[in-house]
Amino acid sequence: MTVKWIGKRMMMGVVVLLVVSFLSFFIMHAAPGDPATAFYGGNAQTLNAAEKERISRVFSLDRPITAQYGSWLVETLKGNLGISYKEGRPVITILRERLPNTLLLFGVTMFFIIVGSVWLGTIAGMKAGSILDKGLSILSIATSSIPAFWLGILFISFFAVKLGVLPSSGTGEIGGEGGFWDKLRYLILPATVIIFTHVGIFARFLQENIKDESRKYYVTVARANGVTEREIRKGILHNASFPYLNYIGMTIPSFFGGSIIVESLFSWNGLGQLTIKSVVTKDFPLLMGSILLIGMLVVISLFIIDFLMYSLNPKLRKGGVQ
Amino acid sequence: MLKVNQLSIEINGKRIVDGSSFFVPRGRITSIIGESGSGKSMTISALLNILPAGSKAAGQAFFDNKDLLAISNKEMSAIRGSQIFTVFQDALNSFNPSVKMGKQLYEFSGRRIRHSVAEFHLKMDDILNDLGLSKAIMEQYPFELSGGMLQRCMIACALYVRPRLLIADEPTSALDTLLQKEFIELLKGLNEKQGTTILLITHDLDIVAEVADKMVIMHKGKVVEVGNVAEVFERPKNAYTKRLLESRF
Repeated sequence: MTVKWIGKRMMMGVVVLLVVSFLSFFIMHAAPGDPATAFYGGNAQTLNAAEKERISRVFSLDRPITAQYGSWLVETLKGNLGISYKEGRPVITILRERLPNTLLLFGVTMFFIIVGSVWLGTIAGMKAGSILDKGLSILSIATSSIPAFWLGILFISFFAVKLGVLPSSGTGEIGGEGGFWDKLRYLILPATVIIFTHVGIFARFLQENIKDESRKYYVTVARANGVTEREIRKGILHNASFPYLNYIGMTIPSFFGGSIIVESLFSWNGLGQLTIKSVVTKDFPLLMGSILLIGMLVVISLFIIDFLMYSLNPKLRKGGVQ
Repeated sequence: MLKVNQLSIEINGKRIVDGSSFFVPRGRITSIIGESGSGKSMTISALLNILPAGSKAAGQAFFDNKDLLAISNKEMSAIRGSQIFTVFQDALNSFNPSVKMGKQLYEFSGRRIRHSVAEFHLKMDDILNDLGLSKAIMEQYPFELSGGMLQRCMIACALYVRPRLLIADEPTSALDTLLQKEFIELLKGLNEKQGTTILLITHDLDIVAEVADKMVIMHKGKVVEVGNVAEVFERPKNAYTKRLLESRF
């Protein structure tokens, strides 16, 4: 049963990645501008028609898009993502450099968002009507309506410019040893911005679930019959975790989207910033590579969330029989 | 055993129950009867201190000389955990959907009287068997069982803990006629064999006539008549009671 479920999920993940790559490939080619011109960089105006044609022929840009996509797909399946137009290095190598940074940012922010929101949301939800309960509702609206990029600029101007205690951008000291602690110092600002703008709304969501669950019939029945408060609480939290997990799953794609902005703002050397850069320079192989990798990260995160849901919720495991 | 005196309940400023008084004698079956919305279930909620948020209860309700409406939460949970067992109307929603029945039944019964899990299984298997349930349900989840099976599970817990007072809030409304009959027999047996005091809330006069010794008639939040079942059926005093009894035939 479980093996079958995992297999099905993996198949779905592969299909999603195929669709994502297909769509991005076509959107990229439909976008204005010519990759052959872009390849020439700043001197594009000196490019004559013959030269342009030559570039197009060499890179097979004159072939139909479907054929181009086909050969890209075949090479990708072989593990070859091509060579970056701009950097002249294999795309895989560039992605390998960037991936740890994005995973670090994502992992750290997700960890603190989950820990913080579970802590706040549980306390607030369990004590309906308390100051924390009402306070969290207001706080969550306030923090989630602050745009991350604006808060980022504010943080930079305060912590980096005024106080000068934290670096404003980058992933490590230039010419430094690039050790873990060095990176951590650079991580503080972007991570704080993402955590601060997300933790409130996550906590609020959990809080509302807990309050809804506490009003359920079975809770009253259990309480009326002297089931211990500890058991009741455990039951409420368990059931309130399903929609919360679902919510995390739903926000993960937009989470990666949002981190693109924050990564660019703080020049965080991750996949988000790389994606923007490759769009601007029309570096197609690199763009396809980073989109595919981000897509894979989303698919894997969703798989983990789904697996958690599946193992926690007996209704899902039993196929929702009534 | 239970003496309710001038009980009033307000929900968000609206009066649901208005100055109701009645008495539940030890070792007998007392029935509260009334149409839906007459405040029967709210009365029970007030007695057990499980009223929904935003509601207030005033008056007194003495259970063994302790006023249930005035005691601390701690004392209340002690009483709910050891003296009173309540079977609710909606059996389908009475259990946590994501916990196995075995664990929940233990929480409802064995845990209350400090039995170990092993003792619980020993005793509960027999009770379930008597009620026509297989012990396989212990490994199942509530949504895999029917309403009738779940209601019997609740009753199994009541049989297990042998409470001094058993409250049954419209326990038969989700059951089919055959199961209803069985359930009524169970109640009677519990009362006769173990001497359990029972407070039965219902809107079904046939059930009252069959099992109850005493009846309390509620109408629009007020207790309109109290008396022995035979007497009330014979000579109803209140106009609403008369109408109610006439509707039966």
